[in-house]
Amino acid sequence: MTRHAPYGLMILIAAQLLCAVFFLGDVVADGLEAGWPHFMDWHFGVEALAALALIAGVGFEIRTLMALLRREAHLKEQLGLAAGAFHEIVTQRFADWGLTPSEQDVALFTLKGLAIPEIATLRGSAEGTVKAHLGGIYRKAGVNSRGAFLALFIEDLMTQPADPVPHHPTPVSPTGT
Amino acid sequence: MTHHRVWDPFIRVFHWSVVTLFFANAFVVDDDSKLHHYVGYAVAAALVLRLAWGLIGPTYARFAQFAPSPAGVTAQLSDMATGRKRAHLGHTPLGALMIFNLLLSLAGIALTGYLMTTDMFWGVAWPEDLHEALVTWTEISVVLHVVAVIWESRRTGVNLPRAMVTGIKDIPDGLQIEP
Repeated sequence: MTRHAPYGLMILIAAQLLCAVFFLGDVVADGLEAGWPHFMDWHFGVEALAALALIAGVGFEIRTLMALLRREAHLKEQLGLAAGAFHEIVTQRFADWGLTPSEQDVALFTLKGLAIPEIATLRGSAEGTVKAHLGGIYRKAGVNSRGAFLALFIEDLMTQPADPVPHHPTPVSPTGT
Repeated sequence: MTHHRVWDPFIRVFHWSVVTLFFANAFVVDDDSKLHHYVGYAVAAALVLRLAWGLIGPTYARFAQFAPSPAGVTAQLSDMATGRKRAHLGHTPLGALMIFNLLLSLAGIALTGYLMTTDMFWGVAWPEDLHEALVTWTEISVVLHVVAVIWESRRTGVNLPRAMVTGIKDIPDGLQIEP
């Protein structure tokens, strides 16, 4: 997995986080020094906005990094174009349903045919937790059994060649790498 | 639940005495007092002992045991991204980065603080500026360290603050254990 590890992005996030802390500290210090009447001074406002924009950017990068790492963890043992393409469809479905990161992980293991105890062992959590995740997954996907859940993807696989992927997943921006 | 004795008495005494001494010098003791110097020397002495202990001490005290690797950091971040859990007996890779950061910053603070007292640098501005910058940096790091410890304790179910008091890590059953 180290083959694709996004070290560039990690280092960029660390560096920008430092900058964000520095600028935020600076803005707060300036604000305290200026006191209330000058608090809304334009210079202060611009500085505060710039700092907030930087923090928002860092937040976005962290989300991207987490998505990248999740994808890599999922593809770890099955690198390849076909697996990658299928994974795109699967993650798109997961995102549409609004699955949490943990639910996405459990859902993928379920797709791979793993039983609840096996998933619990792999994730280092209790079987009850995995069952709760599965309940959430089925509810969000609008199905009520493992068979119906699998069928959703079988259908995709069978219809896929005819018409292209319905929604293209947003390509992961290669910021800083 | 399995119990693992990981932090030896020296590590624990070192940790909590550095916490106390740093807090005292940063927020309580007058910066220009003799006591500020003595507390600083105490921190420096503790750091020298920790350095030696990191080379000759028991397994989990050694720097070589917890030196972080890029692959280790990636693995820990991937665990966070997927919600998977693994327990580390020693420091986690990200935790280890913070340990090295804190040790180096504290050493920098002690060194610049000492330079201010020497004839050579008496009245020179940069040691004092650097000293203060490093203290601010360390304060930010300490906040981050505490937040990360609470976060990781909640994420993995291993009570890390208690381990630093008792020396024993209690790891819930079913959690894969990394060294």
